[in-house]
Amino acid sequence: MGGPAASPAPRQPEQADVTELELRIQLLGGGVVGYNINDNADILAEILARLDGRSLAAAACVCRLWAAVARRDAVWEALCLRHVGPAPPAGPATRAVVAALGGYRRLYRLCLGPALDRLGRAAQAHHHHHHQVARAHHQHRLSLSLSLSLFSIDCYERLGAGTSAGRKPPPPSSLLFLCKPVDVS
Amino acid sequence: MAMGGGASFPFQWPSDPGLDAVALPPLPTVVPDAATGVAYYAAADMHAAMPTAAALPDFAAALAAMRREEEEAAGIRLVHLLMSCAGAVEAGDPASASAHLADAHAALAAVSPSSGIGRVAVHFTAALSRRLFPPTPSPPTPATQPPAEAAADHAFLYHHFYEAGPYLKFAHFTANQAILEAVHGCAHVHIIDFNLMQGLQWPALIQALALRPGGPPSLRLTGIGPPSPPGRDDLRDVGVRLADLARSVRVHFSFRGVAANRLDEVRPWMLQVSQGEAVAVNSVLQLHRLVADNSDDPPAAAPIDAVLECVASLRPRVFAVVEQEADHNKAGFLDRFTEALFYYSAVFDSLDVASGGGGAVDAAAEAYLEREICDIVCGEGSERRERHEPLRRWRDRLGRAGLAGVPLGANALRQARMLVGLFSGEGHCVEEADGCLTLGWHGRPLFSASAWRAEENNHQSDSNADASSGGGSEESNISCSS
Repeated sequence: MGGPAASPAPRQPEQADVTELELRIQLLGGGVVGYNINDNADILAEILARLDGRSLAAAACVCRLWAAVARRDAVWEALCLRHVGPAPPAGPATRAVVAALGGYRRLYRLCLGPALDRLGRAAQAHHHHHHQVARAHHQHRLSLSLSLSLFSIDCYERLGAGTSAGRKPPPPSSLLFLCKPVDVS
Repeated sequence: MAMGGGASFPFQWPSDPGLDAVALPPLPTVVPDAATGVAYYAAADMHAAMPTAAALPDFAAALAAMRREEEEAAGIRLVHLLMSCAGAVEAGDPASASAHLADAHAALAAVSPSSGIGRVAVHFTAALSRRLFPPTPSPPTPATQPPAEAAADHAFLYHHFYEAGPYLKFAHFTANQAILEAVHGCAHVHIIDFNLMQGLQWPALIQALALRPGGPPSLRLTGIGPPSPPGRDDLRDVGVRLADLARSVRVHFSFRGVAANRLDEVRPWMLQVSQGEAVAVNSVLQLHRLVADNSDDPPAAAPIDAVLECVASLRPRVFAVVEQEADHNKAGFLDRFTEALFYYSAVFDSLDVASGGGGAVDAAAEAYLEREICDIVCGEGSERRERHEPLRRWRDRLGRAGLAGVPLGANALRQARMLVGLFSGEGHCVEEADGCLTLGWHGRPLFSASAWRAEENNHQSDSNADASSGGGSEESNISCSS
């Protein structure tokens, strides 16, 4: 077992093993050809963009790099668009509006996430009762326009809470209803 | 009055309210025991198991079932008492009415306040006693409060009612969808909101217009509301907030507030409709306050007719109307009372479920409804403002004013169903009938949303760029403002 120079002419059946071993050694040695997941933030973003909400939030706790990448709105955009359907082509206009209202990460945290949880619980309850797999069905029961509308109302209410005179306590957020436990029995 | 026993009685509101229609459970039949000669009661239709000498869980379950039925029976008894009291009030017999009321108070103790009938019965009993024994002016009622405080209180309760149930959200989203579809392709949109409150309806529309294919129009909003106390301009504050939001999503937006205590005080010239604008008028739960008493014969000219004339003269692209789906404008007190009792118990039930069940309804949302109940039960003549009418009567009225119905479309239905489905999926339903959407609770319609537009005359075109029609409507505006 030596360095790269020691790799012999590859014998057919063991070619794959040798190649993998070679790469592993190069990785350990900090070689040029390595594939560390942390090397390229964009690739990391691509990977994280395929996670679900909870996993993404957990990924943000791994290290500073992952926290920074997980904070990218593009990652949350991919997550949001995956969960609403039928997916409209979300062009730059949508992105601008969502950014103005607070970003996709906030949209997911305040609106889509709780709504999907609630619909998921409802679907599960129905699953027990009706013995149907309704999971795919419930994922498309939210539309992007509806979520954006709810999001804009919430954004508006927070605007008011900031500027209203201190006479009254800030009004309750209209998205709170999504967090309340629902009896779906 | 022994209505207990093992009879199973599904506690269902009869579709035709009235004492005769209430189905009483079958009276227990007396079956003499041949062996011992002692009569015992056996229910005609045994649903719950009688406690046999069985295991303890069966006994506990049977006991719970019996308790439930006792509560149901107590609830039915309470409803009968309330209706008898209302009947006595209608007949002008205060002595008998107060006797029934006293019984009702006593019966209230037997009914749990968190169950379906219990909570709403509390409010109706309180309203009846307020009607029979009007309080001295020391406790401030909504009528005697200084208007500024009353408006602030109302805004607070309204906001909580908005949060607690799907009704106002359904109203706003459906109206917005109608407006969005009607102003499709227009470059200048002018929305007139009959009751601005905190403007919660408009952020969603502003956002939807921002994302409209082809770019947003320039948006003008005229918000009508009660006058603010000196030193404050509540309407303008709301306008500023909406303008902030519109600016952040790059929608050209301008706002104007019109302060008026009553809608019929608003004249067309105050709204300053410009030529070339697509006008949309929005009325959420406002029209019913303008209706006059049905009992007048011949019916007096009601403020509603003036307002509808004003709306029609604006030639709006769309007039979005959301109203309660109930008949609370009947002349006879007992009829009105019964209708209201059934309607509000459905609303309270649905509010309970929407709040997560278990009686955790927001007190402010309940207080909002309580005010309506009090108004319907206690108010007479010009005092009564909550004059809800069913959709079919609104259809007639709006038709007489020269407005034609615009069907709401599949998008509105789908969105409403999605929205309502985010709440407890069980129970709330959105139905479509004749182009109007209805939000209901277990089949009982509660709120209806519809859209209208000015009927086409042969010489007026629908296009908002037609100079001659613009000129014609301006003239009619001037002549209206006498």
